Amino acid sequence: MASNPSSERIYQHRLANGLWLLFEPMPWLPTLSTTLMLPFGSATDPEGREGSATVLHDWLQRGAGALDSRAHSDALEGLGVRRGGGAGREMATVSASFLAAELAEVLPLVASMAAEPRLDDDEFAPARELAQQELQSLADNPTQRLFNELMTRFLDGGQGRSPFGSEAGLAALTTTSVREDAQRRLGPNGAILALAGGADWDTVREGVERAFGGWTGETVTLPGPVVRTPGRGHVRADSAQTQIGLALVAPAPSDPDVYAYDLALHVLSGSMGARLFTEVREKRGLVYSVGASYRALHGFGYTLGYAGTTPERADETLRVVLAELGKLSQGVEADELERARTGILSSVVMQGESSSARASRLASDALLQGRARTLDEIRGEVEKVDLKRINDYLAEHPFPEPTVVTLGPKPLADEVAA
Amino acid sequence: MSAADAGGDAIRFDRAVLDNGLTVIGEFNPYASTVAAGYFVRTGARDETADVAGVSHFLEHMLFKGTDRRSAADINRSFDELGAQYNAFTSEERTVYYGALLPDRLPRLLDLLSDMMRPALRADDFDLEKNVILEEIAMYEDRPHFRVFEVAGKEFWNGHPLGNSVLGGEASIRALARDQMLAYFERRYAPSNLTLVVAGAYDWPAVTAQVAELTSSWEPFEAAREFPAPTPLHGEGRTEDAKLERVHAAVFAPGVAAADERRYAAAVLANVLGDDSGSRLFWRLVDRGLADSASLGHEASDGAGAYVGYVSAAPERAAEVIDIYRGVVENAQDEPLDPAEWRRAQRKLATGLTLRAESPLGRLVSLGAAYQTLGRYQSVQDVVEAVMNSSVEQGRALLAERPFDGLYVHTLGPRGARS
Repeated sequence: MASNPSSERIYQHRLANGLWLLFEPMPWLPTLSTTLMLPFGSATDPEGREGSATVLHDWLQRGAGALDSRAHSDALEGLGVRRGGGAGREMATVSASFLAAELAEVLPLVASMAAEPRLDDDEFAPARELAQQELQSLADNPTQRLFNELMTRFLDGGQGRSPFGSEAGLAALTTTSVREDAQRRLGPNGAILALAGGADWDTVREGVERAFGGWTGETVTLPGPVVRTPGRGHVRADSAQTQIGLALVAPAPSDPDVYAYDLALHVLSGSMGARLFTEVREKRGLVYSVGASYRALHGFGYTLGYAGTTPERADETLRVVLAELGKLSQGVEADELERARTGILSSVVMQGESSSARASRLASDALLQGRARTLDEIRGEVEKVDLKRINDYLAEHPFPEPTVVTLGPKPLADEVAA
Repeated sequence: MSAADAGGDAIRFDRAVLDNGLTVIGEFNPYASTVAAGYFVRTGARDETADVAGVSHFLEHMLFKGTDRRSAADINRSFDELGAQYNAFTSEERTVYYGALLPDRLPRLLDLLSDMMRPALRADDFDLEKNVILEEIAMYEDRPHFRVFEVAGKEFWNGHPLGNSVLGGEASIRALARDQMLAYFERRYAPSNLTLVVAGAYDWPAVTAQVAELTSSWEPFEAAREFPAPTPLHGEGRTEDAKLERVHAAVFAPGVAAADERRYAAAVLANVLGDDSGSRLFWRLVDRGLADSASLGHEASDGAGAYVGYVSAAPERAAEVIDIYRGVVENAQDEPLDPAEWRRAQRKLATGLTLRAESPLGRLVSLGAAYQTLGRYQSVQDVVEAVMNSSVEQGRALLAERPFDGLYVHTLGPRGARS
């Protein structure tokens, strides 16, 4: 049986303007994926102009260099490029996947969005209008609305601000204010460009130097996240289910304990055989959906939990979820650890088969950890965590008290409506 | 250049039909690091009668609740021990149970999945899982983007079973008895109605020998599907829900069936009109900030097809937005298709097909669904070529039949929002 000729090698290069380039060859693939992370997000939105990052990100897609919005889009799509991205809390992302043969033509089109966006007057109003509509659409999406509220109550400072912005913030934006915002924080220093797929390093590096080398601009310093005192909150909504969201502090992505933590979280919620699914859904039939997953910002890790259930079962559901979080400090069993490890190792191999998964992981590792990790390194670290280490870790670091927000027709028994 | 060309090892198709009628197919990929396998059952909401609405999907859940050899906890634990990424889904057309993992664990996955295909359907598991199904129905009740398609599909298909709801309704699920589910299972899960699909890295003789043994006790019988002629509805429908902030509209128009050679041209045409970027609907509605979403796709089902679209707008603007949407697709029938926009749509679709095929798990569903519907193998390259060879003349021929004169638009929004 032929084996996957994975190179397990990550190439890196910092351009003179500060842009950090990362590339992982996957020579057996006909495809190539890129993730460009731009150093602006809602955390650094100007005061009183919440939503500026989202509108700027949209405006960037509306024409660059010699090409107006329509011509730029047609050029990318004529090359068969699939696009994605959006503005987040700390960074804005532009992602693209295409056939590797098109690399030389795609790169300048992607680069021009960052380096020479047109920001034409007549494209501003629709960009803002879209952001306003998306903010309004939150009301019809209870789960997304829940997490938006939860993050605001969990984090203070910039990172607590929603990428959706606020009504007042979006209304305050003008062509001038967003252009100034672009001047302030659309620079290459702090930006990350990751590629993965069927190309070779020399071609990638030369193409990126040519396309991105002339990009200049300022960037701002990202403030550190500030965690609020954990608390409870309820948001009144006329929904069929009560949505329950939890947020709690976790190890930072660069903390050596993050692997032990990740394994523990897998024991809690890594699969349908994990504790949360077993206790909440399989044994009690309380929910369709329940889970917890690790998230990260720059230098900061946290875990989000979720359960959705009909209002009369919400109290019991939250009680069971909190009990399972608490129980983790008593440690995990050897067979649970091995199943969690097997699951993580297996997903690492699967990640290595997808160009977009690899490009996106390279970029987020670079951003969050300050360096990229090969899949071999991740595998090695996951294999090193033995039962003693994970249980010592859990005994010394019981899961902290979460911030809990519920959204539904009525508060839980022990909640008062906010 | 394909992976096969690069390495000299070719993608290979394998197929066997076992004595009990079960078909096993495989697509061997010499560069895969993993393998995906799944049972594709040719049964779904369209094969249900009204008194058991939702039974296919509820049954899908019950297959994870145990067999004579395994409890529900055993099944979940076994998947975890294998490090499998696994799940199942039910549609109008089919029910699929699948997992992906490292190649040396494939025999244990096949053992598990094959055992699950002969479930115990224990009464206490049935009663407990009914709560989970009701929670799932409540969850989708809070998703207007989903709910509008439930209502609109039923109206558009106008009595044709493709309009049946996958979830069923709260009433039909509460009333469903375990014996009704068992009877449905015994009618639909015939070996000949199942296809076991394997993609990635595997040893074909070992797979067929093992599966033949695992399924040797399965008794063959016939499971047919009905194909009534569709008589789709056109016009408008409306549902009011005071708690909504936005108007959500589902759009349907008659399309072509999965076995129809014009399906590739229909997919390109729908992409020209309604891809989520760079399409005519995008430029008229989303780019201008009139709607935050406006799309159209083509769904080619077994025996019938439809163009299916969605648009969301603020209530005060919904009437204008839906008029524009309607105008874009209706006027396309009288305006020339531009070869350049056709070409862009072809290339985007081809890239998407190639990307999904990067991993065995990404490849599994299209491989199995195409085989089950067409009765023959299609490689990724075959599909990409079919898309790239579909001509703008074929697109014009589809439009000449004026499918969008038969548009059905259903809006779901707050009271008083004009549509």
